[in-house]
Amino acid sequence: MWRPIGAAVNGKGRPMTHHPALLVLLLTFTQPTHTATRTAQMYQGTVHAIQAHPAGLDLVTGVGFALRLVHMRTLPTTSVDSAGTTIPLGHVKPGDVVRADCRMTETGLVADHIEKLGPQRSRETP
Amino acid sequence: MSAPAVCARVALIGFALAACQKPIKPGDPLRDLTRAERESFDSGRVTFDAVFTPETGLGPLFNSASCGECHEDPAAGGIGDEVELHASAFRAPVCDPLVGEGGFVIQLHTTPALKTALGIDSEPFPPSATGRALRTTPVLFGRGLLDLVPDSAILSYADPDDRNGDGISGRPNHFVDGRLGRFGRKGLVPRLDEFNDGAFSAEMGITSPAVPTEETVGGKPIPAGVDPVPEPEINQTALDRTNAFVRLLAPPTPLKANKAAKRGRQLFQDAGCTGCHIPTLTTGASPVAALSRKAFAAYTDLLVHDMGPELADICLGDATAAEFRTEPLIGLRVKHDFMHDGRDTTLEAAIRSHGGEGKGARDGFLRLSAEEQAALVAFLKTL
Repeated sequence: MWRPIGAAVNGKGRPMTHHPALLVLLLTFTQPTHTATRTAQMYQGTVHAIQAHPAGLDLVTGVGFALRLVHMRTLPTTSVDSAGTTIPLGHVKPGDVVRADCRMTETGLVADHIEKLGPQRSRETP
Repeated sequence: MSAPAVCARVALIGFALAACQKPIKPGDPLRDLTRAERESFDSGRVTFDAVFTPETGLGPLFNSASCGECHEDPAAGGIGDEVELHASAFRAPVCDPLVGEGGFVIQLHTTPALKTALGIDSEPFPPSATGRALRTTPVLFGRGLLDLVPDSAILSYADPDDRNGDGISGRPNHFVDGRLGRFGRKGLVPRLDEFNDGAFSAEMGITSPAVPTEETVGGKPIPAGVDPVPEPEINQTALDRTNAFVRLLAPPTPLKANKAAKRGRQLFQDAGCTGCHIPTLTTGASPVAALSRKAFAAYTDLLVHDMGPELADICLGDATAAEFRTEPLIGLRVKHDFMHDGRDTTLEAAIRSHGGEGKGARDGFLRLSAEEQAALVAFLKTL
């Protein structure tokens, strides 16, 4: 089973499996959560830019060669952690790989929680 | 009859049956597919060869009007004569794929409606790019097998600090979300389905459930009225069919090796080529029996290697401008142009183009006698 984790997880993904028994199990256990978090979206990607005013960040996500920028606002209540430790948002830099739990609001995407997964591992020097 | 004798007879019968099997031609499906899998393959080939028009979703920016346009020679899933343009920018310490300026794939064609609206024949080259690259189309044979090589197997070949001192220090590339990559000349893309799904958008301007938004024109939205087809422009069934076709394309059976080619196979190893072009990889488990736990002739480690400044073009993901994923040599015999940008028209020239981590093997090849070099190339032409 595969689901693109670089894109929003909003219940519109591809069929999870063709195995009937597993499909029934998955439907049984995922359906309530799905309904409860209909507007929740998870993005995992590389930080492209961070804005101070208004606070937000741009994430590079996508599928294959089709990459997209996703903009999300951050709030004072947005929690950020790395390896289980709370860190300031300022410790997130362009090039970091993060997972952002977001919700769609009338004014756009808002990040409730950001987890820093690690930096890109480029070794090129300028 | 003793047990060893029975085993020997069974093995002999197996070899005899294998020898009797009809060779797999370029474009053929894997052997031993179920009826349903074969039907998926056949229906997928129809979608693969379908030619899109602006009225069916093509563009407004695109490189080709069908998958088959770029993967057609000598059969669907093969090569094409198209060469596309990529760009990125290195902004220390990271690589920018220029998504804000339209992405790293520069579409070279526009629909008439976009040309009328903006007066452009292709996507503008990103102004902040620090590198540009040409890319030929790869063969797609055997990619379903490469897709199923476990990450752990790929990582087992990585030696980023060259601790064994062999001059080869391969490492994996990673996608933008941190997963290990393997597809594309820079090894950026983790999964075959994602590579195909992304290609519908990046190469043909076709939106789908996997990529529901259009490419931008240099980072700017498509002008209103230029693309009247509602998103997604193809459905999940079309994606699944195409993915099934590509996934089930078999590696062509190598041609029968003559005496020189047989010697060349050994010379390929002796020269050091197998340091990166790992001859055999094995897939992990798959619900498709024809793909599950199969050892196959891959001739790649799916890692990126520094190939020296002469070949360097763009960074992508973690890969530096000089790093390229070891090209799988599956179906090598159908290619006319070699290396990532098609710069070489002979295999001898391609080997000579290897630098950086490939320098040892290149020098190993150059140290061979003319007869031995010919034998090594004869071997490559059987693949």
